[in-house]
Amino acid sequence: MKLQEITESRHNFEECMKCTVCTAYCPVLQVNPLYPGPKQAGPDGERLRLKDPFFFNYALKYCMNCKRCEVACPSDVKVADLIQSARIRYDKSKPKLRDRILASTDFMGSLARPFAPIVNGITGLGITKAALDATLKIDRHRTFPKYSGRSFEAWLRRRSREQAAFPEQVAYFHGCYVNYNNPALGKDLVKVLNALDTGVQLLEKEKCCGIALITNGMSDDARKHATHNVSVIRKAAVDKKLKVVATSSSCVLTLREEYPNLLGVDNSDIRDSIVMASRYIFERLEKGATLKFREDYHKRIAYHTPCHMEKLGWGVFSEKLLRMIPGIEFTLLDSACCGIAGTYGFKKENYESSQAVGEALFSQIRSVNPDIVACDCETCKWQIEMSTGYQVLNPISILAEALAD
Amino acid sequence: MKFNSVIIGGGLAGLVAGISLQKEGLSTAIISTGQNALHFFSGSFESLREPAPRIAELFSEAGIGIHYSEGVRLMPLGTFREAALSLDDVSIFPTSHFARKALIVGVTGYQDFFGSFLAEGLEKKGIQCRLRNFSLPELDTFRQSAGEMRSVQIAPILDRVWESAVREIRVLLKDEDAVILPQIFGFQDISVPGKIRREIPAKVVFAGTMPPSVPGIRTQRLLKRRYETLGGTYLAGDEALSAHVHKGTVHSIVTKNLDSHYLEADNFILASGGFFSKGMKSNPFQILEPVFGLDVEFASDRNDWYDPDFMKDQPYMGYGVRTDSSLRAIAGGEMMENLFAVGSILGGTRPELGSGAGLAIRSALAAVDEILKTGKR
Amino acid sequence: MNANEYDVIIIGGGITGAGTQRDCAMRGLRTLLIERSDIATGATGRNHGLLHSGARYAVNDAESAEECIKENMILKRIASHCIDETDGLFITLPEDDLSYQQVFVDSCRKAGIGAEIIDPDLARRLEPSVNPDLIGAVRVPDGSVDPFRLCAANMLDAKLHGGQVRLHSEVTGFIREGDAICGVRTRNRISGECEEFRAPVIVNACGIWGQHIAELAGVKVGMFPAKGALLIFAHRVNNMVINRCRKPSNADILVPGDTVCVIGTTSTRIPFEECDHVAVTPDEVTLLITEGAKLAPSLSSTRILRAYAGVRPLVSADNDPSGRNISRGIVCLDHETRDGLKGFITITGGKLMTYRLMAEMATDAVCRKLNVDKPCRTAETPLPGSEERSYEAVARKIWEKPSMAQKAAAARMGTSASRIRTGDRSDEALICECEEVSVGEINDAIDRLEVSSLTDLRRRTRVGMGTCQGEFCACRAAGLLAKAHGCVERERGDLVDFMRERWKGNFPIGWGDTMREAEYTQWVYKHVLGL
Repeated sequence: MKLQEITESRHNFEECMKCTVCTAYCPVLQVNPLYPGPKQAGPDGERLRLKDPFFFNYALKYCMNCKRCEVACPSDVKVADLIQSARIRYDKSKPKLRDRILASTDFMGSLARPFAPIVNGITGLGITKAALDATLKIDRHRTFPKYSGRSFEAWLRRRSREQAAFPEQVAYFHGCYVNYNNPALGKDLVKVLNALDTGVQLLEKEKCCGIALITNGMSDDARKHATHNVSVIRKAAVDKKLKVVATSSSCVLTLREEYPNLLGVDNSDIRDSIVMASRYIFERLEKGATLKFREDYHKRIAYHTPCHMEKLGWGVFSEKLLRMIPGIEFTLLDSACCGIAGTYGFKKENYESSQAVGEALFSQIRSVNPDIVACDCETCKWQIEMSTGYQVLNPISILAEALAD
Repeated sequence: MKFNSVIIGGGLAGLVAGISLQKEGLSTAIISTGQNALHFFSGSFESLREPAPRIAELFSEAGIGIHYSEGVRLMPLGTFREAALSLDDVSIFPTSHFARKALIVGVTGYQDFFGSFLAEGLEKKGIQCRLRNFSLPELDTFRQSAGEMRSVQIAPILDRVWESAVREIRVLLKDEDAVILPQIFGFQDISVPGKIRREIPAKVVFAGTMPPSVPGIRTQRLLKRRYETLGGTYLAGDEALSAHVHKGTVHSIVTKNLDSHYLEADNFILASGGFFSKGMKSNPFQILEPVFGLDVEFASDRNDWYDPDFMKDQPYMGYGVRTDSSLRAIAGGEMMENLFAVGSILGGTRPELGSGAGLAIRSALAAVDEILKTGKR
Repeated sequence: MNANEYDVIIIGGGITGAGTQRDCAMRGLRTLLIERSDIATGATGRNHGLLHSGARYAVNDAESAEECIKENMILKRIASHCIDETDGLFITLPEDDLSYQQVFVDSCRKAGIGAEIIDPDLARRLEPSVNPDLIGAVRVPDGSVDPFRLCAANMLDAKLHGGQVRLHSEVTGFIREGDAICGVRTRNRISGECEEFRAPVIVNACGIWGQHIAELAGVKVGMFPAKGALLIFAHRVNNMVINRCRKPSNADILVPGDTVCVIGTTSTRIPFEECDHVAVTPDEVTLLITEGAKLAPSLSSTRILRAYAGVRPLVSADNDPSGRNISRGIVCLDHETRDGLKGFITITGGKLMTYRLMAEMATDAVCRKLNVDKPCRTAETPLPGSEERSYEAVARKIWEKPSMAQKAAAARMGTSASRIRTGDRSDEALICECEEVSVGEINDAIDRLEVSSLTDLRRRTRVGMGTCQGEFCACRAAGLLAKAHGCVERERGDLVDFMRERWKGNFPIGWGDTMREAEYTQWVYKHVLGL
């Protein structure tokens, strides 16, 4: 290598041309004046923080880590990574109890699931919501995701022999949401994959991907999760040479990108094996596999690209897959943040900005007036359903619904 | 994934090519490495000096208002420059003496609109000027982060409260026959600039600001929406890394996000921009085109890349990839059968096609025609 | 007494002149400083910004080393807002002779410099950017100093003590009465106005240009200009100064300063006529990167912001026209005893580090001539802004929750940051986003620090010194200057000059991201703004 043939810097912060394009696409900046904006919080601030950590600004916590700045950046600066890793390095404040609770999705899930009817009843009560609002500052407008009585893991484990009989195999990183709140999505995936002659396996014992831990300032815990997950995924991906599919775009982004870039956990040998289920299915179909669809399925579907799907750049797979279903009238919504950003929108102090961020998307949904909004992210689902009243389904569930028996 | 044409670059050239091909029923994908030069667009298609129905149709179908007249436009620092084809945001005057008296209105705390420069420039042309600022409670809230009070932060707010802004401006207006405002209206709501023109009883002129350009971002968004509505696949934030080429024919592109999933096509259009957009890269030793390794002409002595005077034309800005008369790109002296280079990556190598936005549109349309000529494979 | 009469006139607005004016003013003299351009435009602003511990000179020049460490400790006390106490490493690489290390440390200790041999492993931990192949390391109390800020603070303090300043005024001749110099004639380079000023003593503190001023006065001072080229990297790669532990050579010092770091320098003798037009050559750029990468390997792939060169004011030992006997030490010439010319003193040689000592020597000489008996107090009295040692404390004292720009202002201005107006949010608006400079900070500089152009403003505030090299902030700042000076037309020209000046330092390293930024800047200024 010759001197200066290439230049490089941490998360590419030196590539920043100060063009300010990122600020035009930052959903937070448009609604929250306390946030300094991605350019200042990211590459500008990084130069000062390198001089002295004193320049770390606690307002960086307002970043939702949606990564739209990174998608917009003409210079490939990892703006959101810069902001999140600055928080990891310099933020010495202890996360609040509320943030710990919101972040511990799998822990809460495993506690709540056995008592699902009771928990769902309690968290659904107005009085509980008011109490959560007052004590923990979880906004009263939010509805806690319902907990399912039986976990998806338990359901699939009982079918492991039947799944093992299929000629093709994949492993499924189901994530907390499918496991505790919405096993139906997992079952839909199994249905679609089985229709492709593919059996679904569990990982040895997955943990929450850790995305909520990262954004809530609990990176040490997140790193433990990451190390564990990488080792169990390695067993599937390297030892058994399986693809590892997932139905949540945030889980996939975390497993593939945040582990090495933010947490310093090496996943280079397994990264390419982790894919969104929609990409996996699309590629199978492209290679000649076929799915048979119902003839009586007629739906108007509007597809919303979740922020992390946008960052992965894989919205195209979900889109093309949905367009394959005969009888679907498809609209691609303008790619915009819904405002929830994981646990961000649950926090009382963020409720208003969260809703304001999403308004452009909500009004477009209202004007398109679809039967179903499709999207690959569970928190977008909650936000869009709460804010618009439209039903939101993962593309995999729509696919499953449209399959001929 | 297989398309008729894969376009590398999602700026003006790439989108014009993509929209035109989709309209002809050809399937396309655009790979866009982040946002592009449209975000710094002045609003005037420099070097497009002819009324072009084809371009007018393309823009109006996307919901973008453009107009054609020959004259001059007001530049952000108070000078005038020749203009013809422009966005509706940009006023074109037969002469620089377009008014008797002008009221120049900025936004309190907004540093990227150069009122005093405008006033000085206009007064030189015999237009009397008065400078004022306005503010609104909604903008004041935002001044808490005045650190970043930029066009793109103010514009979304003004979309919502433009009527209050008009009221403030009308209060300031005395006997002036022109009002100069910063070009920060109509970020999402494209109807706002027109409404402001109607509501203010004087000639309203929007003068450009420091980038990002509000009309430019709006143009980008509308073109992209038009492209997607026509069924185009816009891969935002992805990057073309390399290509599979066999005997002068490109077969597929490898991208950063799609990794092992190659993008195949019959035709490829390289609209990846100049140095800023990394269509071309440079290091101390050479200037290169990173995806296909196309031939780039540049001086061998690095000293000759620059003129030491900032104000003079810079030789490096003339560098571009080599093409034949049909814009087919050339690598190692050999013509690439199905690869067309368009837009700023041509640098100054095709002066007959103009420069800037004009070059982007003309070359993109020329490549589209060439693809259509070779038949819809 | 006439308004144009002073006790002493100091010619030269570098650090020596500003320091001398401060010292004279603090001793109660009526002072005038005359500078043909702006403060810190010569060697003062064109070096590493290294706060020497003296270690670099310890082996070969014990006298300089002792001066350095004394002044190092004084400056840490009186100029804390201009100084970053980083400490420094002298590293031995495999190709260097490790036995030099002991000689070096012994010499340091003899000069009173705390030098401590540390384990290479510890060095790697203390300074992760250091060449990991190092086989030896010595820790010394090096630091970095912002010469612009230091110069401005000296000028400001002189003004606070009644001193007057004429910037952009060139000395065109001297007023003589018999064998005495008793005044100067000047011409303002901006307005063209010609003036005369009188004083019984005139101090020539013009650095390399002192040769020319001496000639005007009819005496000879032989200067030997040596060009030194340096590169600025776009961010702080290192947080400690890194030196090579060997005989001083080319490009062997890497200094972190503010948000950047600087590698230098080269040394080339140049003819006196070239002093005003030094440029960095491609060969020098290559040499600096190659040698720099040996100190910190990541420099080979770190974005470079600028290249620049300065001219060292080396002076021949008195009356040695051959120039063989060059001294790096301080030279204070009383031309009355030396040449029979009364009322004229030349202070030259020396270095940024020893400016205060030079100022003291010159002021002592002035006082002797004026029969003034006042002690020097510059070693104890903090400069304005340095009343508090830590900028963190300053920021927290002024603002409850300081923003990034307020923190940056405290780091740049020290306690003077309290002068930034608050309350009006427009004052908090950022002008320079790379360096976080607000409207308030710029207006304060315009009010107090003699700013007539964007380039002047840059030296006082760091506006335009960041990654974008003035692309975004220049126009904004020009708007403020136009308002302050009430002249848009002049500001338009100033803006062009400023962009030209920025480009001069960019194109010698104009590849990669610098070329991208340059293309973008060309676009914005020529096509979008229509400059």
